[in-house]
Amino acid sequence: MTEKPDQTVCVPELRTQLVLERFQSTLNRAYRNVPFYQKRLREQGLDPSDIQSLDDVVRLPFLTRQHLSANYPYDLFAVPLRDIVRIHTAPGTSSNPTVSGYTRQDLQIWTNMVATALENAGVGPEDILQISLDPGLANWGRDYKSGAETIGASVIPNTLLSIDKQLMVMRDYKPSVLVTTPSYARQVAVRLAHMERKTTAFRLKTLILVGEPADTDLRRFLEHALNVDCWQHYGLSEIPGPALAYECENHSCLHVNDEHFLPEIIDPVTGAPVPAGMDGELVLTTLTTRAFPLIRFRTGDRARIVTAPCTCDCRLVRIEWLTERTDQLVCIRGVKVHQQQIMTAVENALGFKPQDSCLFENRYDEKTYLEIWIAVEDAFFSDEIKMLEMRMQRVRDQVQEDTGVPVVVRLKERATIAAGPPSING
Amino acid sequence: MLKIRNLQAGYGKLKVLKNVSMHVDKGEIVTIIGANGAGKTTLLSTISGLLRAAAGEIAFEDRNLIALAPQKIPALGCVMIPEGRQIFASLSVEENLILGGHVLKKNGKQALRQQLDEQYALFPILRERREQYAGTLSGGEQQMLAMGRALMSQPSLIMMDEPSTGLAPLIVKDIFNVIVKMRDEGKTVLLVEQNAKAALQVADRGYVLETGKVVLQGTSPDLLEDADVKRAYLGKDYGEFYDGKA
Repeated sequence: MTEKPDQTVCVPELRTQLVLERFQSTLNRAYRNVPFYQKRLREQGLDPSDIQSLDDVVRLPFLTRQHLSANYPYDLFAVPLRDIVRIHTAPGTSSNPTVSGYTRQDLQIWTNMVATALENAGVGPEDILQISLDPGLANWGRDYKSGAETIGASVIPNTLLSIDKQLMVMRDYKPSVLVTTPSYARQVAVRLAHMERKTTAFRLKTLILVGEPADTDLRRFLEHALNVDCWQHYGLSEIPGPALAYECENHSCLHVNDEHFLPEIIDPVTGAPVPAGMDGELVLTTLTTRAFPLIRFRTGDRARIVTAPCTCDCRLVRIEWLTERTDQLVCIRGVKVHQQQIMTAVENALGFKPQDSCLFENRYDEKTYLEIWIAVEDAFFSDEIKMLEMRMQRVRDQVQEDTGVPVVVRLKERATIAAGPPSING
Repeated sequence: MLKIRNLQAGYGKLKVLKNVSMHVDKGEIVTIIGANGAGKTTLLSTISGLLRAAAGEIAFEDRNLIALAPQKIPALGCVMIPEGRQIFASLSVEENLILGGHVLKKNGKQALRQQLDEQYALFPILRERREQYAGTLSGGEQQMLAMGRALMSQPSLIMMDEPSTGLAPLIVKDIFNVIVKMRDEGKTVLLVEQNAKAALQVADRGYVLETGKVVLQGTSPDLLEDADVKRAYLGKDYGEFYDGKA
């Protein structure tokens, strides 16, 4: 047989056959069971049998977060509801959240993937693993708990503690592994530095960073301040798999679980595939998921494929996760929130749509917030400070309730908003 | 060992296999399960060259089988045991076995004798019946004869089409035990079965074929636990099969 190299998606030759088989059967199942996929393929004049190589993936239409919201709640499920054993909710792009379901096998696959990712970070049965994630990432907390329990580690399940309580847990419970977002880890490290406390009272040795990419400077700071080794994991809240890509013991880029996910990098503007090694938007297709298959899901995350093989034994596809995004999502403490969802909440709280506003991530006392600036305008203005404060309070409560992230609301002049947000408070 | 990509085949205008991709690694038992008319037998017939593929690739140990005549394929080490045994009823058991070993002719009588002895060791009942007309054997014995006949050519891949058809449950158990034994002795088996439960219990992996398409694949324990497979092929929850998503 002549082997045609599948250029577009860079899956190692060793696994091309397996990945193609899984990709084709996922497509067959999705086409058979999900009217959305059937309609989309027919609109493109495609039948699943037209997909004959991994290169053909580019012929399929993309799936976006808007599609997930539009098919709320169960319209993208590919199995009957009674086969679903868990239902997860993640923030969506509109007032509808994103709902995903899992069969028993799906959960088993996730558990094993998380366990593998943890093992690659050196986590073993002798470890005490603490999970500390925002409520918006609670789904991942459950997956980390299952994965760590599979390895045999002791788990302190997900509870987001105040920094003082967190330091107390680290001192008294002596966790050796902490799974959290870079924002929260930074908060802990900075507080520790301010208190001039030594890390000798802790047994923490491993920090697993999830939800957002940590740049080299932040990693160095965390490693130094907390006296730990840092590992980055990558996941999506839509298919709650916090560890669909992970760093191996060499800490060299993220290894994508390409037996379960087909990664592609595309040009975010044209949608065309970019050559291996170039920056673009990460697009993922599930290969083994039964309940909630995603075909060419645009993650909005910017990444590039790393073509050089890793020095570790595995031959998984490697990606570098870059900090910028290609979509309208704001990432606050690892939780991804769509701008449209925030503005809908603001509008609901005010009763009208503000003429000018802007959203950005900011830090106060080392804690990360979603900051919303709203322009002062006639409809909003009142000569009573109390009324203004009440309105701002209402906006804050509404956005916090809808998104689950901490919010700061400020009234600004239109000119200030036009000038754009300041650089993040350091 | 066997790698199939985008295989399409059918009968005249009727397309049966629509883009089937699958593989079998050395030393494993892989089963293909599916309902009547899913294309299981068509798949085996196409691999063994009895049916011409309309498109796609079949590679057996890096040899392309697509262009080969069916009689040349067993010599490569890829044999098929057809459904309903199809033994030569008017020949004796031993004559049937010798026919199966025709590719060994060039190696001399000694090699043929050695192979016969190996089959008699694997299926002692065939030694007892070796002078008997094959048509007088029971269904289970005929299946053993068909298996012995296929093994005579020392194949590396054995494809079996519905070996349990028409056999009593106890005999089916014996046949499947022999399949496991064949795997343990280094053979590779591609097993097509309607008796999904029995097949998945002995196989390492499986593919679910539905209207000519692979809709699911996985390890056997995984497929045995799959709710859809349970409903459709293992006879569980059957009454509720068509009641939609809710």
